[in-house]
Amino acid sequence: MLISIRELHRVYQVGDQEVRALDGVDMDIEQNEYVAIMGPSGSGKSTLMNILGCLDTPTKGSYRLKDLEIASMSDDELARIRNQEIGFVFQTFNLLPRADALHNVELPLVYAGMHHEERRARAREALSIVGLGDRMKHRPNELSGGQRQRVAIARALVNRPSIILADEPTGNLDSRTGEEIMLAFENIWRQGNTVILVTHEQDIAEHARRVVRMKDGRVEADHPNPHPRAVAGAPVPGA
Amino acid sequence: MNLRESVGIALGGVRANKLRSFLTLLGTIIGVASVIAVVSFVEGMNRYVTEKILNAGANVFAVDKYGLIMSREAFDIANRRPDVTLDDADALRAGVAHASLVVAMSEGRENVRFRGKVMKAVNLHGRGAGYDVVDDIAIEDGRHLSEFDDRQRRPVCVIGPEVAEELFEQLDPIGHDIRVGDRNFEIVGVTKAKGKLMGQSQDRFVTIPVQSFKKFFQERGSLTVGIKSVDEASLPLAQQEARNIMRARRHQRPGQPDAFGITTSDTFLQLYHAVTGGLFVVTIGVAAISLLVGGIVIMNIMLVSVTERTREIGIRMALGARRRDILSQFLVESTTLSLSGGLVGIVLGGGLALLVGAISPLPAALSLPAVLMGILMSTGVGVFFGSYPAVRAARLDPIEALRYE
Repeated sequence: MLISIRELHRVYQVGDQEVRALDGVDMDIEQNEYVAIMGPSGSGKSTLMNILGCLDTPTKGSYRLKDLEIASMSDDELARIRNQEIGFVFQTFNLLPRADALHNVELPLVYAGMHHEERRARAREALSIVGLGDRMKHRPNELSGGQRQRVAIARALVNRPSIILADEPTGNLDSRTGEEIMLAFENIWRQGNTVILVTHEQDIAEHARRVVRMKDGRVEADHPNPHPRAVAGAPVPGA
Repeated sequence: MNLRESVGIALGGVRANKLRSFLTLLGTIIGVASVIAVVSFVEGMNRYVTEKILNAGANVFAVDKYGLIMSREAFDIANRRPDVTLDDADALRAGVAHASLVVAMSEGRENVRFRGKVMKAVNLHGRGAGYDVVDDIAIEDGRHLSEFDDRQRRPVCVIGPEVAEELFEQLDPIGHDIRVGDRNFEIVGVTKAKGKLMGQSQDRFVTIPVQSFKKFFQERGSLTVGIKSVDEASLPLAQQEARNIMRARRHQRPGQPDAFGITTSDTFLQLYHAVTGGLFVVTIGVAAISLLVGGIVIMNIMLVSVTERTREIGIRMALGARRRDILSQFLVESTTLSLSGGLVGIVLGGGLALLVGAISPLPAALSLPAVLMGILMSTGVGVFFGSYPAVRAARLDPIEALRYE
């Protein structure tokens, strides 16, 4: 089991009020699953994503990633897990504006303490995989939205993480570019990666092979998606 | 780890906004520049003092009418004392057991002429035998004045190389007469060049026997008696002996203040240290205020930078930066910033010192310790005033930082 979540609670203190963002979540995710986590705003999906991404720790409960208990880890240990096991893709891309594409992709390897030449080579390789081999020296503001998101995907892949965690990855893109990005995730998944999509859009969630619906801090529904939405350019088996 | 990157970010920021960077770093620049300039001066002076003044007068002290006068009142009192005479000098020569040399000295200024050429206001030294040791001068050509010259009050002189050059050019001065004031003196020697001290030439003088001096230029007037002790250990003894003899000759009772002055190189050294010490205190004050202001400005800029780059911090944390990575990134940035100010300050302060050293008699030397001090001070400012913003950056919550607009 790659991810094992038991009785997960996350409580925020807002003024005098307790907000139960997560109120007892159980979930298992296997290696090489393609999961969409859905739900309206306030459902707790963002909180769940933050905890899955090791940006936040639960108030109560257990989160095991590759048999490591994340819930009790220190800040430094969490940083190391984020560095080695998680690849983030954000809605707003979150690239460093002053750095070129190559440097942005290199960044996780910098914090992994990798040597300069090896880092360069790995970042070049990752950019080639997402089809940006000829845009390495461009800064984010010299790239289109789709290209920026592909830089971000290359950055998420470069450390060969256990989980690719995508938070509304098409939210800032037009639908055609969004399809491009979904194709990229499809390919990443097919290459053996575990992909977790967090979204409130039904269309996007339907690309995944399993859909988890959140409501009021709990898992409302969790079932496989037998008819995944076809992506242009990617043959869907069984469809 | 990513030191090069942090330095690059900081320098990129400095370059991208030159005016803002200059204003940001002005305090640091002024602080470091003033320290460098003053340290350079004091270093230069120190070198000068040790080389010239102390070496020349090793184990030498002077007995004269005035001593070291620091105020108008002291001068008025000293002016009423009896003159120091040749008889005093003879008594000291006879009585100071720990002296290896006792030389009577007198000073004046006269115009010097030779075949229509005139040098105005040349230093005229009246000297007893042994003056070569006390004045630290050596003969280049001819001979020194002798005791015989002195006793006979002969009209002979030794001249400095500058006088020889100006009046005689290619001609050999030895054996020629020059006119000093309205008297003729035969040149018997030319001294070796000594260069300048405090911007004053030490080679522009005429030395004649002190008794000739008394006879022709100054029948009345006070002498200075230079005394060299046998060795360093006997210097205080020799001073005490000289004091006793002078007090006895002035018929002074116990408890009365000396009616004469005794000056040693220590006296000058103390005065010198008092002056440079004061200079140091003022500089440290100016530097401390500038560096404080400079540091606060740097802290302010770094706080702005942390706020502006909150999202970047969030991204870096999401990608695996530990809190200490963020901390060190911002510390390196603030230190790079203040260090670049420090380097500008070093160049500015050093340039100022060298410029003043070149156009004025004040000596200046840009020393390695001064440069190191400048680097250390600006680094210190960067680390100290950069730590609060850096800690703020490191303490950010990654989730909120990522969400920051």
